[in-house]
Amino acid sequence: MDLLQQCFHGMSFDLFVIQTLNGIVTGMILALVASGLTLIFGIMDVVNFAHGELFMLGAYMGVLVLATTGSFWLALILATLIVGLIGAALQITTLRPLIGRDPLTTILATFGISLILQNYALWQFGPVARKIQEPYTGHFNLFYLEYPWYRLVIAGLSAAIIGGFWMFLKYGKYGIWIRATTQDRVMAQAMGIPVPWVHTAAFAIGAGMAAASGVLFGPLVGVNHIMGLDWVLKAFIVVVVGGMGNLGGSIAAAILISLLEAYASMLGCISPAQAVIVSFVVLVLTLLFRPTGLFVPTPK
Amino acid sequence: MSATAAATEIQNTPLIGVEDLHTFYGKSHILHGISLKVGAGEVVGLLGRNGVGKSTTLKTIMGLVRPSQGRVVYQGYPITSMAPHKLARMGIAYVPEDRRIFRLLTVMENLRTGLDRGNVTDARKRELLDKVFTYFPVLAERRDQAGGTLSGGEQQMLAIARAMMLEPKIILLDEPTEGLMPRMVSQISEIIGALHREGVAILLVEQNVPLTLAASQRVYIMEKGEVRHHALASELKVGDPVIQQYLGI
Repeated sequence: MDLLQQCFHGMSFDLFVIQTLNGIVTGMILALVASGLTLIFGIMDVVNFAHGELFMLGAYMGVLVLATTGSFWLALILATLIVGLIGAALQITTLRPLIGRDPLTTILATFGISLILQNYALWQFGPVARKIQEPYTGHFNLFYLEYPWYRLVIAGLSAAIIGGFWMFLKYGKYGIWIRATTQDRVMAQAMGIPVPWVHTAAFAIGAGMAAASGVLFGPLVGVNHIMGLDWVLKAFIVVVVGGMGNLGGSIAAAILISLLEAYASMLGCISPAQAVIVSFVVLVLTLLFRPTGLFVPTPK
Repeated sequence: MSATAAATEIQNTPLIGVEDLHTFYGKSHILHGISLKVGAGEVVGLLGRNGVGKSTTLKTIMGLVRPSQGRVVYQGYPITSMAPHKLARMGIAYVPEDRRIFRLLTVMENLRTGLDRGNVTDARKRELLDKVFTYFPVLAERRDQAGGTLSGGEQQMLAIARAMMLEPKIILLDEPTEGLMPRMVSQISEIIGALHREGVAILLVEQNVPLTLAASQRVYIMEKGEVRHHALASELKVGDPVIQQYLGI
C-alpha cells in the first residue's frame, strides 16, 4: 500500500496534460530519427549504427551555421543538406561495396563510422557542450507552467518533415523507385531503376532527416559528441517495436514509447531517469509476443 | 527453309546473341555452354524439362546472374554482366517466372516503375498506358488496387504490361502461362501474338509445348544446361520423337 501511495503521490490532471504534451514533442523528434533508420533498413537491410552520429553531426553543423549566419532556419536547412551529402559519401565509400555481403559486415562498418564521427567531433569541438539558440523564446501558460512555444514548433516541424517525406514516397517518381526497390531489389533493377543510386539517395535522405532532428533538438539539451547515443538506442527500439522497415509503424511506435516514458516519469516510485526502462519493457514484450512489430498487419 | 538456313539469315543481324554461356550457382554448373540467337521481332521458344537451365539462361542474359564464361551480344554490342537497369533502359525487358509484382504498389505504380524513365513525354506515357489498358482492360479497372491483391492471371498480365512500359525491343518471358486457367492461357498467347505483330522480339521459356510451337518461329530444346536441338517451330509437332525424347510428352 505504501508503495502504491508513493507511486501515485502528486499525480494530477495538470501533470497528465503536460506530460502528454512532452511525450508528443519527444515522440515527434524520435519519429524523425527513426523514420530515416527504418528507411535505410527497409531498402538496404543495413542496420545503421552511425545514425546517432549523423544526428549529432547535424546538431554541430547547426551550431556552426548558426554562428556564421545567425539564422536558425538557415542552420536547419544547411545542416540537413550537408549531412545528407556526407551520408551519400559514406554510403558510396563504405556500404555500397558491402551490399550483398553478410549483414554483420555492414553492422561493423556502420559501427566503425559511428566511432570515427564521435571522436572526430570530440577532437574538433571538444568535450564542452555547445548551445543552439532556439528561434522562439516565448512561453505560454499551461496550468502552473510556462510552456515554451519552441517545443510545439519542434513537434510541428517534425510532423511537417515526416509528412513531406510521406508524400514524396507516395507520389514522387523517386518515391515510387524507393518503394519498389524496398520491396524487390532485383525486379526493380530489371525495370530500369538504378538501384545502387536509389540506395545512396535513401541513405542521404535518412542522414538528412537525422541531421534535421539534431538541429531541432539541439536547443533543448545542448550539443555534444555523444548526444546521438541515447537517440539511436531509442530509435532502434522504436524501429523494432514498429516493425522493421515499416515507416508508419515507426512513427506510431515513437509516439507510443515517448508517451509511455513521459507518463512513467510522473510516477513517484521511479525517478524520471529510470522511466527509460519502459521502452525496454515494451521492446521485450514486443519481441516475445509480436516479433514482427506491433503495427504490422498480421500476415494472412 | 531449314533451321540452319533460318539461323544463318538472322546470324548477320541478331538482336541478341548468346555465345557459349557457362553459369554456376555456387559450385553447381547450370549452363554448359549455351549458344542461341534471337532476331529482331522474332519469337523464339526455349523448351526443356524443369531444371535444365531455361530460367537461368534468361537471368544470365538480363545480367541478374553472372556467367563464368561466354558472352551476350545485343545489337552488336557485348552486354555480358552489364547492370540490369542499364539493359532495361536499352530495351531488354524481363518477365520472371514468379512474376515478381511489387505487391504493395498499386497497379498504376507498378506500371510507373517502367514508365518514369526521363526522356518519355507525357503524351507518349499516355499512349503506352492506353495500349496496355486496351490489351488488358482488367488492369485499367484495378489501376488503384495493390498489386498483391490481384489474382494469379491478373498478376501475369500486370507483369507483361509492366515490361511493355519499357518499350522493349525484346522481352525475356519466363513461363507466362504457368498455373493459369485455360482462358487466361489463351489470352496470354494472344498477347504474345500481338507483341510479335508490333515487332517486339520474345524469348519464350515455356512448359506448354503446343502454345510454344504455335507462338514461336523457331525453338531451341535444352537438356542438362545445353541446347540439344534447334528447329523451325513449323517443322515440329507435339508428338514428334524429338519432343518426346527431351520433354517426355
